[in-house]
Amino acid sequence: MISFVVIILASLFFSGIIVRTKSIASGRKGPGIFQPMKDIFRLLKKGSVYSETSSFVFQIAPSIYFASVLMAIMVIPFGKSEGIISFDGDFIFFAYILALGKFFSIISAMDTGSSFEGMGASREALYSLLVEPAFFILMGSFALFTGHTSFHDIFISLHFGSYVAYALGCLATFVLIMIAMIENSRMPIDDPKTHLELTMIHEVMILDNSGFDLGLILHASNLKFAMYGALIANFFIDTLPFYLTIPIFFAVQLIFAVAVGVFESFSARFRMNHNAQFIFALTSIALLIFFGVLMVIGKFI
Amino acid sequence: MIAAYLIFAFVISTLLFFNKNRLLNYLLAGAFLIAQWCFTIYEYTHKNAVEFYGFFRPDALAVLLLITLSIIAIPAYYHSYVYIKKDEKNAGHRGIYFSAMTILIAAIAAAYLSNHIAVTWIFVELTTLSASALIYHRRNANSLEGTWKYIFVCSISITFVFIGILFLSIALQQAGHNNLSFPALLQHAKSLNIFWLRLAFIFIFTGYTAKLGLVPMYTAGIDAKDKAPSPAGALLSSVLMNVGFVGIFRFYEVIAATSIHHWANHIIIIAALLSVFIATVYMLKVKNIKRMLAYSSIEHTGIVMLGLAAGGIGYYAAILHIILHAFTKSSMFFQIGQVYRVFKSKSIYDVGNYFKYNPTGAIVMLLAFICSTAMPPSGLFVSEFMIFRSLFEAHYLFVLIMLLFLLTIIIWAFGKNVFKLLYTPAVGFNDKNVPKINPYESLSQFILLGLVIYLGINPPAEFVALIKEAIQNLPQ
Amino acid sequence: MINVFLITFAMTLIYLSIANRMLSYIRIIAFQGLLLFGVSFMELGEMNTVNLIFILLETIVFKAIAIPLLLNYIIKRNKITREVEPFLPNFISLIIVTFIIIITFLFSNIIVDPNLNKIYFVVALSALFTGLYIIITRKKIITHVMGFLIIENGVFILSLAVGNEMPMLVNTGILLDLFVSVLVLGIFVNKIGDVLKDADVEKLQNLKD
Repeated sequence: MISFVVIILASLFFSGIIVRTKSIASGRKGPGIFQPMKDIFRLLKKGSVYSETSSFVFQIAPSIYFASVLMAIMVIPFGKSEGIISFDGDFIFFAYILALGKFFSIISAMDTGSSFEGMGASREALYSLLVEPAFFILMGSFALFTGHTSFHDIFISLHFGSYVAYALGCLATFVLIMIAMIENSRMPIDDPKTHLELTMIHEVMILDNSGFDLGLILHASNLKFAMYGALIANFFIDTLPFYLTIPIFFAVQLIFAVAVGVFESFSARFRMNHNAQFIFALTSIALLIFFGVLMVIGKFI
Repeated sequence: MIAAYLIFAFVISTLLFFNKNRLLNYLLAGAFLIAQWCFTIYEYTHKNAVEFYGFFRPDALAVLLLITLSIIAIPAYYHSYVYIKKDEKNAGHRGIYFSAMTILIAAIAAAYLSNHIAVTWIFVELTTLSASALIYHRRNANSLEGTWKYIFVCSISITFVFIGILFLSIALQQAGHNNLSFPALLQHAKSLNIFWLRLAFIFIFTGYTAKLGLVPMYTAGIDAKDKAPSPAGALLSSVLMNVGFVGIFRFYEVIAATSIHHWANHIIIIAALLSVFIATVYMLKVKNIKRMLAYSSIEHTGIVMLGLAAGGIGYYAAILHIILHAFTKSSMFFQIGQVYRVFKSKSIYDVGNYFKYNPTGAIVMLLAFICSTAMPPSGLFVSEFMIFRSLFEAHYLFVLIMLLFLLTIIIWAFGKNVFKLLYTPAVGFNDKNVPKINPYESLSQFILLGLVIYLGINPPAEFVALIKEAIQNLPQ
Repeated sequence: MINVFLITFAMTLIYLSIANRMLSYIRIIAFQGLLLFGVSFMELGEMNTVNLIFILLETIVFKAIAIPLLLNYIIKRNKITREVEPFLPNFISLIIVTFIIIITFLFSNIIVDPNLNKIYFVVALSALFTGLYIIITRKKIITHVMGFLIIENGVFILSLAVGNEMPMLVNTGILLDLFVSVLVLGIFVNKIGDVLKDADVEKLQNLKD
């Protein structure tokens, strides 16, 4: 329960910090931390406009997308306390509930019949396809390392090990940050500020959404960031008491947001045809972590 | 003694490097040759005495090859002078050439004598570096290409050897030892882990094939021998190949004492037979005489390794063959230098009727051809015949038939080119200003070829005893 | 901690397969030098001063500073373009390098040796084969030298795994030889740059039959 609350809290200021970091890095004062949230609330108050050619899929997709992210957040534990939903193998549930949301956002983009949105949808589908093995191999190696298959048990038993657990956590953090960037279509893959539809991925899929629906989609993206931040935080917060873990959690979220902002300020996005190999490289790295775990615990096929 | 020799060689080579005076150059090279021979005689008389913390030991094989080296070194220096005097423009280049040659000879000698597998490695690497300076002597785009390929392939292969040595030391550690000297390896051979030994053998064998000139790494050597000045090419295709042989042979001795002896033989046979096959294919195709000789060297090392793998009388024949081949091939390369001076070309299309321009040289060429293709008066006939016999006795009938078939083609291709060189006039060759070649320049080749015939037909008892001692560690 | 260094080393191999710029290659090689220092420092534990100086020289000074500077100098001097120009698309390189790692991993499974730390073995062999792969598939001559350096790094890891106490004299000889060979390779890249103006392997195809 507590994880759900803190992730929602973190999501409120997450994109604000990114925007602020970017404006400071580029020498501007920038909007306040809560400006993105204010924008989203403004959108939520508005009604939506639907094209005559689109079907009901287009109308329900944003809600399902948002709900899927919320469901995924419920699975994530927080230190000692498990998430609202917790069972063996819940990281598979986590991955596929997200995939369900993504599926709906893709078919809703197709539903509009716009060629730009179809293009964006196909890219999104390709990248999620490539990123999926990375996530599963990573979580699989932790499952193997600890001998458990639910998020909660994995994170609980991770720290009975020695420094190896922290070291692996650092490597996993790197992979998870990259997964978060890809899932949210952020910098090395896609530039959210771009104005050219041809080079967009995620942004081009939601061109036709407006009002309430757009607000949901935008906030889902914040939630996703906070969710991955929470996963990363879990590698480090251990089973400490709450008065320690909650500050650590927010510190991790803050560092994550600032890191994203700095990274986006100082790097350029890849050419579209380099994206696939970059994402696949994550899978290879996850595979290395997997082998490393196999070696460390001395289990062999 | 070896330390003194190496230091002396290093000093001489440094002086040669900086010296611009020709006379001083002669004196320094002469001093080195005298030192080389003193050293050879010293090692011969102090056979099997360990030197320099046990890193060096002149065993029978080392002494045999060292004498071969010292014999070839004299004409190598002599022909280098003849070569360089012809178009001497830059005293600096001459200095680098002789300096590199001195280092090369010293490194080869040290690699022969080495008693420790890693010390062999160090000196083999040193031969690569010094040989590259020789290959680059002409400083044009082609020689640059040859040098680059040579250094690069040799560096990769020497790294392979090092990996092999590391695997070997894993095997040694498992058995509870850590001494990588050859006698210790031989002594503990039976207790070593087979898996690591196999890996070590594959890597070490592959690595040394770059020097020896076998499949897979033979390519670099071909370009190097083609592009190096012919006296340097003579060293590269004779004594330097023997370095590769020593590297493989010493480790093969260890393998032969273990249960994977048979497996190793198969690896060697595959590589050797493929080498002979590739030599055949290219001998038919090649138009450059020097490259043809280089491929002929590959054929001969293939035969040597087959003898080694067949065992029995083959061991003896392999050692005999590698020594006699060194004499034959070096004399051929020395002779090619004169051919090039006459025709200004190495292409088979531009040369011909050599008897008319340089009869003495043509006789050398004919004699060397007879020796190299192992026709009867040649000592190589004896060793090749023994290798055939050993293959027959070891029941490698298929290999033997293949080998004989390929050798027939090689003799035909070799003969076709050599007879074209000797008798058929070249089309469009202008013989107005053909330089007169001094017949005495061919004297050293006659001596070398005479040695080939003498050592093959009527080997002195001491020589036979040395070869027998060299192979005593192999299972009979 | 050693394991983490080694896994990071393997990651650099993967990054190498998709890197597009010569500069990234040089950075990776320098970074690998640092990683190797970390590994050897951890591995050797308490060591005497001579050993420490030796390791420092070999990894930090030689691998992490001198060689990257040399490579940088060569690239600047010969005006080598910044792209790597592989024969194969990077994506295929990535898959092949991944497969190399998987295969060496599977291969390491058949070893039965309690003394040997297999992670060293896997990383070393992966580096060896990745280096060979880079030599085969990259067009520029300077990248061949880099592939050679990666092979050398792999050998260094393997030699740490073996931990064989070779005599100091032998060790020094090996180090000296490697240093000179890299230097000579660098010099010849320069020469090739002078003579051929464009340091591609395609220019080196005159010698053949």
